[in-house]
Amino acid sequence: MNSTTDRNTGDVVQAQELTKMFGEEAAVDSLTLHVPRGTIFGFIGPSGCGKTTTVRLMTGVHKPTSGQVTVLGKDPYKFSKSDREKIGYLIQNFVLYPELTVWENLNFAASFYGVSLLGRAKRFNRLLEFVELKEDKGKLASALSGGMKRRLSLAATLVHNPELLFLDEPTAGIDPLLRRKFWDYFKELQNEGHTLFVTTQYVGEAAYCDLVGVMYDGKLLMVETPDALRKKAFGGEIVSIKTSEWIKFESRKKLETLPSVHGKIKVISDQEIELIVDEASTAIPALIEACKAERISIETIEEISPPFDDVFVKLIEKETNNEKVV
Amino acid sequence: MRRLSKFLIRISSFISKELTEILRQPRLILTLVFGPFLIMFLFGLGYPEQNRTLRTTFVAEDPSTLQGNMELFTGSASPAIANQEVESDLDLALAKLALNQTDLVIAIPEKPLETVENNQQAVFVIYHNEVDPFQIAYINSIARIYVDDVNRRLLQTVTEQGQANAGDLQTNLEGAIAKTQALKQAIPPGDTSTAAQVTDLEKDLTTAHDQLATFRSLGASVLVNPFNADTKPLSSIVFTPTEFFAPAVIVLLLQHLSITFASLSIVRERRSGIIELFRVAPISAFETLIGKFLSYLLFEILLAGVITFLAVWLLKVPMFGHWTSYALAVVVLLFTSLGVGFLISLISQTDTQAVQYSMLLLLASIFFSGFFLDLRLMWEPMKVLAWSLPATYGIRMLQDIMLRGASAPALVLYGLALIGVALFFVDWLVLRRRMEG
Repeated sequence: MNSTTDRNTGDVVQAQELTKMFGEEAAVDSLTLHVPRGTIFGFIGPSGCGKTTTVRLMTGVHKPTSGQVTVLGKDPYKFSKSDREKIGYLIQNFVLYPELTVWENLNFAASFYGVSLLGRAKRFNRLLEFVELKEDKGKLASALSGGMKRRLSLAATLVHNPELLFLDEPTAGIDPLLRRKFWDYFKELQNEGHTLFVTTQYVGEAAYCDLVGVMYDGKLLMVETPDALRKKAFGGEIVSIKTSEWIKFESRKKLETLPSVHGKIKVISDQEIELIVDEASTAIPALIEACKAERISIETIEEISPPFDDVFVKLIEKETNNEKVV
Repeated sequence: MRRLSKFLIRISSFISKELTEILRQPRLILTLVFGPFLIMFLFGLGYPEQNRTLRTTFVAEDPSTLQGNMELFTGSASPAIANQEVESDLDLALAKLALNQTDLVIAIPEKPLETVENNQQAVFVIYHNEVDPFQIAYINSIARIYVDDVNRRLLQTVTEQGQANAGDLQTNLEGAIAKTQALKQAIPPGDTSTAAQVTDLEKDLTTAHDQLATFRSLGASVLVNPFNADTKPLSSIVFTPTEFFAPAVIVLLLQHLSITFASLSIVRERRSGIIELFRVAPISAFETLIGKFLSYLLFEILLAGVITFLAVWLLKVPMFGHWTSYALAVVVLLFTSLGVGFLISLISQTDTQAVQYSMLLLLASIFFSGFFLDLRLMWEPMKVLAWSLPATYGIRMLQDIMLRGASAPALVLYGLALIGVALFFVDWLVLRRRMEG
């Protein structure tokens, strides 16, 4: 595949049956995915499931055992220097130099990527402002907190203004507030036209992504939008109905027979139930009608979004029970 | 042009990074600069230009058998033997030796002069309590000097006695010559045969008399020591131990510092994981290595300059050669040592392992580089090991330049440079493999 094809399809990363074996063990097993240009692609899975190996295959650190991967239209293992200049890679741990200051670390990264000396200061200031480290530019990296180090790493990754960013667990080990801030940064970067491939083990962070790939035990279970992921996990969207009175067993059975409702109704309490429907927007009017017919006085009826932790657990349960989820 | 500028920018990343990291540790710099200087200074103080004096106990179990010649055996011309005491009990003297109260015990043989007169060698047994082979060699040499000295003084005494005795003989000969002359005049004129015999006798007596006169006119010490040796170096300068060892110390320090710095450099980056970033970034193994070589070379040159300045101007270590030769030798030494260091860094798994390898190399350099044992004494096959160490080349070059005022031997300089280039090539191949995963 060449870069022209990529521009036509709009995919910056294409992987086909990508496999990486370490001895007899498959770290990545027959992975197939596409990352469209300008998206935030979340790569979610538990620790040790093959996320980092996938990133290493995509950045040319590892050579695939079988299958193919192209990044920006090229085989990453055969990247030229100019190809590499288009890529930014944030490694899982802080790997910059503790004896250098924030500014010196950026300078090192910039020289490392061959960034011209002209206009460097302006770019560094802008980046430090972006990651909120401008006041700390003279501090030694060893004197920074864990969160600040991650922000410095991010700034160093952006120093050469890469087209495509591979961020390997950028939010690992930092507090929820800072994690949220990181996702704000990522959103801003996306708005500036960057494509981001972000791995994370925080399932809840899937909500910030345009597309989410769910990885488990070296296998890619699915690639979906966050909403579609929920649907796949629960078999549809979830609608919650709260009533002012007790809902009779017969009435619940009636609602279960509606064509838009799937499976059994989940009873949360005497006055609250949850139903799985195809499309909440079309199912809610039908449910209101059905409740009227059953003389159920609705207090609230709404679509609910279960936390992604639940979504992920559900998906993994299905995978381990060998249910077809993709 | 753009590619060249990017190449230079990438290389510069390491130069500024490595130098900043080092310069940010002032205590380290101070130790590196003044540490070696202090070591050389203390070395000079600790080893003054003096031989070791040995406290000596003489044992004469029966002094009466020495026939009043005690001084002949216990007085030594060698300043290395300090007569501590004369004992009559060998066991007591040996006990003192074991307790380190004396350094040597010289057992004077019983009836030594009588033994010699009986046409036998009298043997002095010299006891010591050393384990150091160099000290044992020193004592053996002092023992030889002592016995030579005793032999010489004995001969001198005997010669003096002989000369004194020859005085009487000479007087007797003079009387005999006078009597021969009287006899010659008493021979009847026709008895030519008897006259001729007496004339021959007179001649023989005169010759013997003259020879005795010559024998007596020579000093006894000249007769005993007719020849002596006087060693003269080509250079008229005699170096103190500090001056002699200074070039080798500079070489060992520079080699060790280069190897230690370089050996920790890449292994740390591999441990921290930043090498993974190197693999993804548009920087090649060649650029990485060039950048690292240049940064450490710059720093080490600076360090070498300061150490040399302190050694030459403050410690007054001699420098008879050209500074350009010196600079060239040092740069080649540093370049090759860095090559060794980076190789260690590339094959080591941890910092500790890298430091251990560096220390092993330092140890090998101390023993095999000719630092304190002359390479000419080394078993030929082992010289291969010696000449695989940068320090061996460095010591040879700096001693020639600084102490002899010569240039670095071309074969040594080019040999070291060739090793340096080969090491750079090997480092590059290994780093490329590491960066390719």
